[in-house]
Amino acid sequence: MALHGLRLYQCVRGILGFGHYSRPGSLSDIFTGWPQSQVAGKKMYFNLPEVKEEDLEEQFVRGAGPGGQATNKTSNCVVLKHTPTGIVVKCHQSRSVEQNRKMAREILRVRLDVVLRGEEGEVLRKKAEAMQRKQEKRRRANENLERKRLFKQNLLEGIATTPMTRTETTTTTTATPTEDDKNSKD
Amino acid sequence: MLFRPKILGLFLHPINRITLRQVSTARSFGEKVIPPVSSPPSSSKLTVQQALDKWTVCFQVAGVSESVLSSQHIVSHVLGHKTLNSLSRKGLSRVLSQPQVERIWKLCHKRLTRMPVQYVIEEWDFRDLTLKMKPPVFIPRPETEELVGLVLADLEESRVGSRCPDSHVHFLEVGCGSGAISLSLLHSHTQIRGMAVDQSAEAVALTKENAQSLGLHDRLTVNQADVIKDAEWLMGSCGRVEVLVSNPPYLFTEDLESLEPEIHRYEDRAALDGGRQGMCVIEQILTLAPSLLADCGRVYLEVDPRHPELIQMQLRDNRLWGLDYVATHKDFTNRPRFCILQRRPGNG
Repeated sequence: MALHGLRLYQCVRGILGFGHYSRPGSLSDIFTGWPQSQVAGKKMYFNLPEVKEEDLEEQFVRGAGPGGQATNKTSNCVVLKHTPTGIVVKCHQSRSVEQNRKMAREILRVRLDVVLRGEEGEVLRKKAEAMQRKQEKRRRANENLERKRLFKQNLLEGIATTPMTRTETTTTTTATPTEDDKNSKD
Repeated sequence: MLFRPKILGLFLHPINRITLRQVSTARSFGEKVIPPVSSPPSSSKLTVQQALDKWTVCFQVAGVSESVLSSQHIVSHVLGHKTLNSLSRKGLSRVLSQPQVERIWKLCHKRLTRMPVQYVIEEWDFRDLTLKMKPPVFIPRPETEELVGLVLADLEESRVGSRCPDSHVHFLEVGCGSGAISLSLLHSHTQIRGMAVDQSAEAVALTKENAQSLGLHDRLTVNQADVIKDAEWLMGSCGRVEVLVSNPPYLFTEDLESLEPEIHRYEDRAALDGGRQGMCVIEQILTLAPSLLADCGRVYLEVDPRHPELIQMQLRDNRLWGLDYVATHKDFTNRPRFCILQRRPGNG
């Protein structure tokens, strides 16, 4: 159970760690509905759990001050809390607060998928598939390397055996004529 | 305050320690001077992280607001990114080239004069657009992104519902500044066309430039016009619109004195000063609205939190006519920030 939890945690960290988040796949506005697919990280997800706005608590790290025209601050970090599960997501990936709000919701949905559906969920399944593909690729690469190594070994062994027999016969044939010459002179 | 630099100095990189000593000397003369920051190191290798740290400290010591974010935005920009998030882990330890170092130094010096980051890097993001920024044209605020969201949501609803047939929606923006609202609407809604006006020639030029860069100039007319002085011209040139949107100057004149240096020194005062009770421009827009709006047309305004009450009072007192108050919306800091009014049918 503890190992399972640790693996989930590692997966979530791996997916949601320091990295680049691209723009949402659809430009559908936050007020008019959820996009059909989400892009979080470099992956596309189609079946993430829905979140209801009423389950969310949003906080904006903008500091005190009158706001609006009277303030010009560049901080627009969005902190999103999903009250039913207690999951908190922070996002300051972009310079636009609306974009950060959208991205925070997408990140939340990815995390919800991992927490609620675990290994049956889209996120972890896709990660497992990606890992399998990677392992398969590595296995094939290793096989290729092994085949090449054997070929090279055979080649070297081949070179070692054949030239050696030719040099032995040359020495024996040269030895005998000198003895005969010596005999004929007498 | 004088003690801090010395204590910090013990834990900092040599480059920073030198700067802090220089700054302490400057301050000890009792004058308000810009700290004599060292010129860019020419031979030593400086990494991205080192440049960030150095300038964060410089900004902190100089009392520049948002020291961490300022250095991050400037350094990211010089590296060709919008935020540091686009950099990999290795990116932070990468050594900067000499031209990059010089550019960072140049831009950070500008920030030391309290120039807003948006003017320093000459660009900023608004929703999903990147716009050029140029002083003294008003910098779009993040709250205003929500105003655009409200307009788009209404347009979507009216398309589905029966409030307004969606053949070709026309809008008018009063006080366009850099063009943020107009261009955002155009970018997100392909069936919309509009006119943007501003009393500032620089704002008109910047809006046109941004429209051109975004390829939206064919659906937007930009004119220099003052909604008070050029009211007649405006009513003659602009046909009936379904959407009248504005982030008008709404600050109370007496509040202008307490603004932070970034705004006070660099932004166009006329884009901020709403006069007595901050209502001068708002009142004018609402006065003209019944004549500018189509039958089911609506006005969308960003205002000071005290204004929704004042506006509703004026409607009750019949000082404003031809409009029904639809709703007040709060911004993300939970302050009443947006007013929506609808043209009363049958008038004008």
